[in-house]
Amino acid sequence: MTGRTPQEARRRQTAALVAFLLVQTLAVVFFIGDVIGDLREDPQSIHFIFEALVTGALTLGVVFGALALRRTIDLLRAQEAALDVARGALSDVIEAQFAAWGLTPAERDVGLLALKGLDVAEIAEVRGAAQGTVRAQLTRIYSKAGVSGRAQFAAYFVEDLMGQGLKAQA
Amino acid sequence: MVAPLESPFSRARIAPSLWDPVIRISHWGLALVVLSNAILTEGGSTLHVLAGWIGIGLLALRLLWGIVGPQEARFSAFPPNPLAALRHLRQLAQGRPEEYGSHNPAGAMMAYALWGLLAVVIATGLVMTGGRTPMQVAADQAAVASGDWSALVKPGESGDDEDENEGWKDAAEEVHEVAANLILFLVLLHVAGVALESRAMGRNLVRPMLTGSDKDRRK
Repeated sequence: MTGRTPQEARRRQTAALVAFLLVQTLAVVFFIGDVIGDLREDPQSIHFIFEALVTGALTLGVVFGALALRRTIDLLRAQEAALDVARGALSDVIEAQFAAWGLTPAERDVGLLALKGLDVAEIAEVRGAAQGTVRAQLTRIYSKAGVSGRAQFAAYFVEDLMGQGLKAQA
Repeated sequence: MVAPLESPFSRARIAPSLWDPVIRISHWGLALVVLSNAILTEGGSTLHVLAGWIGIGLLALRLLWGIVGPQEARFSAFPPNPLAALRHLRQLAQGRPEEYGSHNPAGAMMAYALWGLLAVVIATGLVMTGGRTPMQVAADQAAVASGDWSALVKPGESGDDEDENEGWKDAAEEVHEVAANLILFLVLLHVAGVALESRAMGRNLVRPMLTGSDKDRRK
């Protein structure tokens, strides 16, 4: 699917952020241990002050890294949710339209597969039916829908997706 | 955006089909640390201390994630509630446990108990080693091995001070061992709970903690 590319990128971004976060956290823990050791020995030394500053910065880095990771995960999920909603809405529209045309259950199946872009041979294979049967079913579907063929049949639902504005101008 | 949960332990959603990476890494990382330090490494050895320090990092990361992480990772999604935990166990015994948007109440209590015990084991371990980092432990042990016993005496330790220190260390050692054994017992209970819950729900609860399944992710 074409819509997967940005999501794949975001997933990779998530993995990278997690790796950074993990390494940073482990580093912070060891640094803090070291700083506490130094604190006991000589809290006035430049070495201690410098290391304490670095550790503080690293700790802040961990917190901001975690926040960035959370934001990325939230975005990824929002995209997936939106896609799910769109999918669900489209399938609702298709179902309602098929019912309005009075398609039989078998015709609905064939119609859905045709909308997904399968050709007659593929539909026949999926449904374990003869190609002649599928061709006859498609013809009945087109006639019930009042469309000239597969292109118009598919366009019927695409047009719905594009909204009313297009219809008014046509 | 993802709809927020209306209440803790919301019944409107089911637990994620794949936990987020921080949860998964901290879960299996801590499991590895616990098992390796219980079975493989020798107490007091550099490896044992190193694994413990990695455990500090993993636990700290998970606790931070409990504040800033996504909804189901946050403490607010699975508050400690012993009564709800008991209710859940009763439902589990009857074979029809409820679904929750995050950990179920019994699982939540298990998580808090394990984290608490881990904190105790880590704290007592730090007392026993005098808070020395694994690098220092390794250096000291190398020094002792080469015959320089002075590495065992730290500056500022002498006389009564030392006796008192040893007393603390002995107490810490007792607590360290008891808490560690308690963790192992809870881990067994945890595994049994996951197995029971998976069977009662008719759904593999381990998979979301590993990689999820392609089917779940695409749906």
